[in-house]
Amino acid sequence: MKRSLAGSLLVLTALTAAGCGSGATQEASGGAKELEVLYKVEPTWPHLENMLKNAKKQYESAHPGVTIKLTAVQGNNEAYYTKLALLNRSPDSAPDVYLHDTFQVNADVAAGKLAPLDEYLTTWPDWGTQYPDNVKQAAKGIDGKIYGVPISTDTRGLWYHKDVFAKAGLPVPWEPKTWNDVLTAARTIKQKVPDAVPFSMYSTKIHGEASTMQGFEMLLYGTPGGTLYDDAQKKWVAGGKNFTDALTFINTVYREELGPKQADAHNAKLADKVNLEWFPAGKIGISLDGAWTAAAWKPTSTKPWAAWQEKVGWTAMPTQNGEAPGSVSMSGGWVMAMSSYTKLKKEAFDFIAVATNKENSLMYSVSTGDLAPRKDVAADPKYTADNPSVKFFTDLAEVTHYRPAYEAYPKVSAQLQEAMEAVTTGSRTPEEATAAYAKALPAAVGGPDKVLAR
Amino acid sequence: MTVATAPSPAVTGSPASGPARRRRVLRWLLPMAPALVLLALFLAGPILWSVYIAFTNETLTGSASVHSQFVGFDNFARMFADPNFVNSFLLTFVFVIGSAVIGQNTLGLIIALLQRGRGRVTRSVVNGVVIGAWVMPEIVAAACWFSFLAEDGTLNKVLGISQEWLYTAPMLAVILANVWRGTAFSMLVYSAALSEVPPDLVEAAAVDGASPARRLLHITLPLIRRSIMSNLMLITLQTLASFGLIYALTGGGPGTASQTTPLYMYEQAFRYFEIGYGSAIALVMLVIGALFSLIYLRLIKVEDA
Repeated sequence: MKRSLAGSLLVLTALTAAGCGSGATQEASGGAKELEVLYKVEPTWPHLENMLKNAKKQYESAHPGVTIKLTAVQGNNEAYYTKLALLNRSPDSAPDVYLHDTFQVNADVAAGKLAPLDEYLTTWPDWGTQYPDNVKQAAKGIDGKIYGVPISTDTRGLWYHKDVFAKAGLPVPWEPKTWNDVLTAARTIKQKVPDAVPFSMYSTKIHGEASTMQGFEMLLYGTPGGTLYDDAQKKWVAGGKNFTDALTFINTVYREELGPKQADAHNAKLADKVNLEWFPAGKIGISLDGAWTAAAWKPTSTKPWAAWQEKVGWTAMPTQNGEAPGSVSMSGGWVMAMSSYTKLKKEAFDFIAVATNKENSLMYSVSTGDLAPRKDVAADPKYTADNPSVKFFTDLAEVTHYRPAYEAYPKVSAQLQEAMEAVTTGSRTPEEATAAYAKALPAAVGGPDKVLAR
Repeated sequence: MTVATAPSPAVTGSPASGPARRRRVLRWLLPMAPALVLLALFLAGPILWSVYIAFTNETLTGSASVHSQFVGFDNFARMFADPNFVNSFLLTFVFVIGSAVIGQNTLGLIIALLQRGRGRVTRSVVNGVVIGAWVMPEIVAAACWFSFLAEDGTLNKVLGISQEWLYTAPMLAVILANVWRGTAFSMLVYSAALSEVPPDLVEAAAVDGASPARRLLHITLPLIRRSIMSNLMLITLQTLASFGLIYALTGGGPGTASQTTPLYMYEQAFRYFEIGYGSAIALVMLVIGALFSLIYLRLIKVEDA
């Protein structure tokens, strides 16, 4: 009913500290121009806000007459996607420049909400010299145009607690070769170190895309031929053995109680629990998570943990049975994008260029632990100084996969989360969850002709 | 809080003459005019739009957000074939019956009955506590219940056990929270209604030897029956649309174990951006709300006949 729709909107707006009534470009009195920049912030993740404040200062002193209005969305990624989609419904409320997750780019390109940046990028020397070609593709539309300047990229792998491993009698450094090695280590930890969570991963709807990417896809793309989308036939793959195997892994984790307790698995703040509580307290064995994880312990964190470099180890997620190339990773990332509704396109691009210049990119990458998209940042000693894990995760680029981030991807991702949550709670067996996914897929991708039966 | 019975117009007999009929329409329309004007001014657009998009494949993003198509009753067909919708519907039913019809209604009546003839101090303390829960913002109430029921929360500490209430018994948790929060409304309705019950009638029955239970059953309840019906109708409609409390407490989880229809609708419309489908669900809920109201109104009429 209307009431609950309004209620849900209220919840969202209540979460958003900053009001954002009239967003878009405003010609304030005296002909001053204003650009609204939308981004997300969390109490434990102030990094982007710090960087944008810096960029605002630089930009405003170089461009008198233009004001940058920073509008923060308080909350996790899922809250941010919803807020952005709602603001983008109308040119009046759409922000001029915004942080955007690469997997949502094509859906917004199809909706005509994003402005292509190509004509501006050709005039920006950094684009040609500092961004590697594969990074430039991050926000490429199906039309071949570029819709965003990357501020971060990432890979994923396994983080483990060396003390917990030692207590469990497991070898350090740890180099699992198969899924079974991972599960065996988790079982050993459960037996020998009962007060530690053996293995943590994201597998419920509340974690949204983190579940899909850090969880499911890290498994699926490590099975022989496992993929969500068949590039040759241009069709979405409906389940199959790979799919069931990936769900079986998750099912095993929760049925054997190797994972976090159900309450924690469904807690939106699981990442904070794992990284800020359990790791420092030695209460977790293994965590399947992103390259940025170490940022939680660095001095720039809200809760630094000085001993992490001795206590924490990292290794690649193995393929199912050790198939070549032996390990697997997924890559995504975030970009700064420009609204197609903005009237101040030149100014908006100039702000993006300032926000992603070397100084700001470095500041962002060092504090977030995200992998740097710019060559000059990656080469800067400050970037690797405080974080010995950076090189390892950068090198994972050799085995990494990218999401099939087409327009239908967000809907496919939602179905994957549905399947994962069902095996997490045990409401469905892996086989049943696969069957349900195969059944729901045609509606999600726009017709049975876009689906490849397995 | 009693619903005034409309004076039955003289529909029988000779057809009314022009001016008389106009006067009657006016008498009927005038009290509704302010509400109608406000509705038309602020809500007509959004309401018509949401009815329209319920029949389209409109989304919040992607190509369907700019080129949405009329899909007829597809959204409704999909809804009734969707096990998650059916599940949410059953949970909504359990939630409404459990927390409103049984919980808030009965508890509110009991508190109101117990308060009769008590001292002012008792009454104000009880009223203060019960109404305190009611005036509390939904999110704050949810946060209170979360810290009460959480694994290291008050309840477990008091009982000395470790139990993840919100995960083992999510429906029970949200029902209890909603009873706690919403009882004040029923209590106020019944306090007002009970004060209208003539004390001499009850006393006379007592003198005749009727037990307290019989006095309640045969004198008090029949006298306040119309308040009971209107109270039931109001709290049913409120509870049917309840969103914030459940969203903040369990988010509809674990899985879909406490995903009532408003939460399901939110998920479809704002998480998965299927605003057309979400609006179709909203329409169905509107119809269900209207059906409930009709049944209650009917019951009131039957009672009066």
